[in-house]
Amino acid sequence: MPTVTIEGKQVTVPRDATILQAAHRAGVWIPTLCHKPGIDHTAACRICMVEVWAAAAAGDAGAGPAGPGRMVTACNYPVRRDITVDVGGERATRIRRGVMELLLARSPESEELRELAARMGVAGTPFPSVTESQRNCILCGLCVTVCEEAIGASAIGFAGRGVDRAVAAPFRQASEACIACGACAAVCPVGTIQVRIHADTAEAEISPFKSRSKLLVCEECGVRLVSVPVAQAMSDRVRFDWEQFRALSRLCPVCRRKHAAASLGAVAAKAGPRESLESIIINNRA
Amino acid sequence: MIATAERLIHNPVELDAWRDKVNKAKKSHSRSVRVCIGTGCAAKGSRRLYELFCEAAQEAAKHNGKSVKVQAKCVGCHGLCERGPIVVIEPEGILYQLVEEPDVAEIFRETVLGGRVVERLLYEDPASKTRARKAEEIPFYRVQKRIVLEQNGLIDPTSIDDYIAAGGYAALAKALTTMEPEAVIEQVEISGLRGRGGGGFPTGRKWRSCREASSVDGRRYVICNGDEGDPGAFMDRSVMEGNPHSVLEGITIGAYAVGATHGYIYVRNEYPLAVEHLKGAIAQAREYGLLGEDILGSGFSFDIRINRGGGAFVCGESTALMASLEGRTGEPRAKYIHTVESGLKESPTVLNNVETWANIPHIVREGGKWFASIGTEGSKGTKVFSLVGKIENTGLVEVPMGISLREIIETIGGGVKDGKAFKAVQTGGPSGGCIPAAHLDAPVDFDELTRLGSMMGSGGMIVMDEETCMVSVAKYFFGFLKTESCGKCTPCREGIAQALHILERITHGEGEPADIPKLEALAELLAEASLCALGKTAANPVLSTLKYFRDEYEEHITRKRCPAKECKGLFLYEIDPEVCTGCGICRKACPVEAITGERKVAHVIHQEICTKCGTCYEKCPFGAINKV
Repeated sequence: MPTVTIEGKQVTVPRDATILQAAHRAGVWIPTLCHKPGIDHTAACRICMVEVWAAAAAGDAGAGPAGPGRMVTACNYPVRRDITVDVGGERATRIRRGVMELLLARSPESEELRELAARMGVAGTPFPSVTESQRNCILCGLCVTVCEEAIGASAIGFAGRGVDRAVAAPFRQASEACIACGACAAVCPVGTIQVRIHADTAEAEISPFKSRSKLLVCEECGVRLVSVPVAQAMSDRVRFDWEQFRALSRLCPVCRRKHAAASLGAVAAKAGPRESLESIIINNRA
Repeated sequence: MIATAERLIHNPVELDAWRDKVNKAKKSHSRSVRVCIGTGCAAKGSRRLYELFCEAAQEAAKHNGKSVKVQAKCVGCHGLCERGPIVVIEPEGILYQLVEEPDVAEIFRETVLGGRVVERLLYEDPASKTRARKAEEIPFYRVQKRIVLEQNGLIDPTSIDDYIAAGGYAALAKALTTMEPEAVIEQVEISGLRGRGGGGFPTGRKWRSCREASSVDGRRYVICNGDEGDPGAFMDRSVMEGNPHSVLEGITIGAYAVGATHGYIYVRNEYPLAVEHLKGAIAQAREYGLLGEDILGSGFSFDIRINRGGGAFVCGESTALMASLEGRTGEPRAKYIHTVESGLKESPTVLNNVETWANIPHIVREGGKWFASIGTEGSKGTKVFSLVGKIENTGLVEVPMGISLREIIETIGGGVKDGKAFKAVQTGGPSGGCIPAAHLDAPVDFDELTRLGSMMGSGGMIVMDEETCMVSVAKYFFGFLKTESCGKCTPCREGIAQALHILERITHGEGEPADIPKLEALAELLAEASLCALGKTAANPVLSTLKYFRDEYEEHITRKRCPAKECKGLFLYEIDPEVCTGCGICRKACPVEAITGERKVAHVIHQEICTKCGTCYEKCPFGAINKV
């Protein structure tokens, strides 16, 4: 197992682990934007650039590395031998600052980006805004990857090239493949993608992609649950009988809890306090 | 797939016999006319010339019976595109240039039938005023050393027989039947061949890594990168159009060496003739048994497919090309794990450029040592360049590595067009840089050009004269890259747009002193943080012009002047009263009535009204209007 010397700390990681994983183990923070554990890393944002040397070339610990190292992205660089990594050094910091300044010029209004910039010690950007972003989108691509890999819907992708690149559904129309699961909104690091609930029609809209899906509604209190295609997709995945599933998901979690509590009171009066709460809920549900 | 039994050639002996047969048949022609149908000549109507020569040959056969047997054939690019269409009469090898339709009858009557030379169609050396009869007598060809282009312009690219007659597929036969794959790789390593697509990675080492890499499904791939996209470059195009079999033979040998069973040629769709010729060549090679199952009885099976690119420059990058081949968007990925380990469909893959592949048959046939004897210490063999821009002899040239830039530009290229002064030569396309006159004697090789802040690249060579503004050159390349960047990574997408914005401001006279350090910071960011080579090398045009022509940037920024007088608004138009005849053409043409003057009296431009549109400059028949 190769050893990674990062900011003076030594950690051992399995072969092909990433520098970012080694950094986590060593307790060293490296900024990331387009990285989420469990989702394939495209290394598109370049905010996690670090400087790397082969351990042998870096000289003795403390003596300082010899010559400039290689600039790599920590999120996907595979560790295959002993290496020395510099995160907070002058060169790596300058490059990351440059990337952040470019992103700030593109999406100056993003709160999230400004917060990360502040944590990185970047106060602002010297660049004017020359590229247009769709609601602060930094084109990190997490939404596209999660939609394809985790959800399997591939409802959105990239349209255009270069500065005209944008995340969109085909022909920029509402996508029929979208199941309104909201995974894209959940992974978006800058809040570009949002799930909007339309109370009047009981629909969820994935904004800005315009796709809408009907929502399951609690029959009792009218609270909106998940979207119908998500529930269907889930039932497909667990081989559930849809009618049965619908019967079970008749109520929202709050109402379900109320019912459970009510029956708990009744059952508890009968059976005493030994029966576990969990089994009561399960029994009650069935 | 063509069944083994139905093929024409089953083993090396049959290949040799076939070659003898074709060569014997050739001897029966007393004369042949070679008409260039390369893209340059075809654009000037050479296809029609070919038809006319064919008709003339048929006519002659009718009248003269069997005594004169003339063959007209179309061939690939000769290189001297500036002087096209080019027609060569064999066996004498008389080269006619700038041939037009009415000349066909005369050439046929005088030279083909009469054996006399039509003097007026010969190439005349502008310096010595002597006429050259043959290609070898023209300085353009004399200094060249042709290996890859050896048969270009000699053989008919649509005929496999022509290629076989010229010794084609002998290298494949040699490799398959007398050499182990290891030995082939060894020869390529000895040859010192480096990738001709721009990177200059040692080809032999690449092949070895691929052969030694473990493949999960046992598959390996070879790919030919024919996605030539640099502005002004047409080397690979000419090879694919003019000698497609040399590329196929090279790929097949490479596949044998690394153990691949499938190969792909990725050609841009903008090269229809290359696609047509390659398709035809593959079909012929299959028919002859030089592609397919059990090639030449060696037990080695291999086949090639053509994929057409959709015109994205970034698809010339290896990982983007492979993504495109797999049917995904042509975008690059990180190469921390090399494509020789995990490339196309995650199998070990060798990707080489067209010219690299076309060198392989020569190396196998003549041996790696022979190849290594040409060129410099670090760069062996020859390199094909497309010589374009402000130069007399636009065209395709192949020179030994180590030749000086001066020799290419002055001897082969015939110097700068219209006698203007040389300013810089741009090599390496958008990834390369501009080399000034002070370094013209530098030898052309991979390391030297990199040291000068440019790069070998795929072989584009753009010559610029004194009237070229270097800031505009950098702006042009950034403009190109801005539209060609895939937009995946931040530095390339945003950084190029920012740099272009700065350069636009400078050329509009709105530059600030802080712009130069800003450009340099962006250049570092692009080089260090970009995902692929497109972004990593994008800053070279601006870095090299800053290195050699910094004063020109400063002139734009501080004095708001364009020394080359190219940037509109950063220079003035003035009428020279000594030359002006007072004809009034400029006065009438001026759209804003900024010019006044009496008839036959020198006119004056009123600078406060002038919009610097340049109409007067273009209209003046006496050259009385100057840029100042």
